[in-house]
Amino acid sequence: MHIDWAALGIVAVVSITTSVIFTILLASGIRLVSAAKIKSNEGGYSPMILSMAYVVLGLAGLLVLFGIYLIIPRFH
Amino acid sequence: MTELFVLITVIAVALIFDFTNGFHDSANAMAGPVATGALKPRTAVILAALLNLLGACLSTEVAKTISGGFFDDELITVPIILAGLVGAIVWNLTTWLLGLPSSSSHALFGGLIGAVVVGAGIASVNGWVIVSKVLLPAIVAPLVAGIAAAWATRLAYSITRKTPSVHSETGFKYGQAFTASMVALAHGTSDGQKTMGVITLVLIAANLQPTGTGPQLWVIIAAGLAIGLGTYSGGWRIMRTMGKGIVEIETPQGAASGAATSATILASAHLGFGLSTTHVSTGSILGSGVGRGAKVRWSVASRMAFAWLLTLPGAGLVGGLAALLADQGVPGVVALMVLLAIACLVIYVLSRRHKITHANVTDSHEVLVLAAATPTTYPDDPRLEAPKPKKAKKPKAKSAA
Repeated sequence: MHIDWAALGIVAVVSITTSVIFTILLASGIRLVSAAKIKSNEGGYSPMILSMAYVVLGLAGLLVLFGIYLIIPRFH
Repeated sequence: MTELFVLITVIAVALIFDFTNGFHDSANAMAGPVATGALKPRTAVILAALLNLLGACLSTEVAKTISGGFFDDELITVPIILAGLVGAIVWNLTTWLLGLPSSSSHALFGGLIGAVVVGAGIASVNGWVIVSKVLLPAIVAPLVAGIAAAWATRLAYSITRKTPSVHSETGFKYGQAFTASMVALAHGTSDGQKTMGVITLVLIAANLQPTGTGPQLWVIIAAGLAIGLGTYSGGWRIMRTMGKGIVEIETPQGAASGAATSATILASAHLGFGLSTTHVSTGSILGSGVGRGAKVRWSVASRMAFAWLLTLPGAGLVGGLAALLADQGVPGVVALMVLLAIACLVIYVLSRRHKITHANVTDSHEVLVLAAATPTTYPDDPRLEAPKPKKAKKPKAKSAA
């Protein structure tokens, strides 16, 4: 009888870490975009916040792309 | 002649199984976005259906066997496959009627195991493989996905605590649509293959296709269409349980649970420990509810756990009984098909008594079969109030008339 506990552990760690990272990126992106919007509504301009927002959301997007890469068998 | 008849029957039944697989698992991807309104019900199922079809066409490398290590490959004959499929279909339809998500792969394994036990005795089944491939993953999947979703949900809320909800809602809805689409695509690649594998094996067994070749084009298209149509039909009963029944899903929570579902499914598919999509998505929704500190309906959760426990023996029982008939040549197969049609019809008629469609899927949290609506209130959480009396009583009045 063989149960692959190592694979089980890796799956657990990777699943939890990736979910958490993706959510942090998405939520931070949302918070930054919102902050930039609020600022511009007040007449200000905040290139710093906006570019940070794009970077963070871009990273979340990269994770999605990596997921699609994993799903499609022809890519690997 | 007999062989050809049985062959055509098996292919047809395999496609029916594929269809039930689609509508049973539609909710895995789309229950969250439908519940939060990130996607309209119709849009959600059309998107999921197209992605399922696409996924099925992208992944055509079928498994060489369908025995899954539960028993010797030699025990797999065409009648056994037919009986196994019948067991899985009946189980899928019964759980759908009750609005319970359950794993289609476990149902198929259960059906096949039941059929093999009838044909070759209980000793031919490897019990340890059942523990390691069915029981353990059924416990691990909801745990891992649940923990991932609970943490992700907490973080999503704490990061956006000061963000105006107009802004955060939109953002999280986009996130949810993306993760749900990934789940649908991944489902197409993994489950579309299953039916292609079954049909290809049967064709090889009948010497209509050389050994070791992949599925033919028509098989790929037929399997992809069957799972896509199944997904499009929505399986709204299961969608309601997952989107409304377990816990009320808010948008940030839905995005977090979607992230946990897709991350866990992809990790399990690529790091060597297979987990069922159904168990993962259910676990994520549960976990996200716990992470938000919402009122989780543990009674619904325990009913689901019970259904998971019964999937293998339940489908196995039907598969075993079906094997008795499937082995009796053309008359047996015809009788089996008649019985299957009757079973499908009965379940369909029962489901009409309290119909759930794309239009009313998010109206209530209950999936009723025969019982009248039992109004439950949660005084401490207004969001979880019982369905409006008008909606709850409508089906009752209908059935009385």
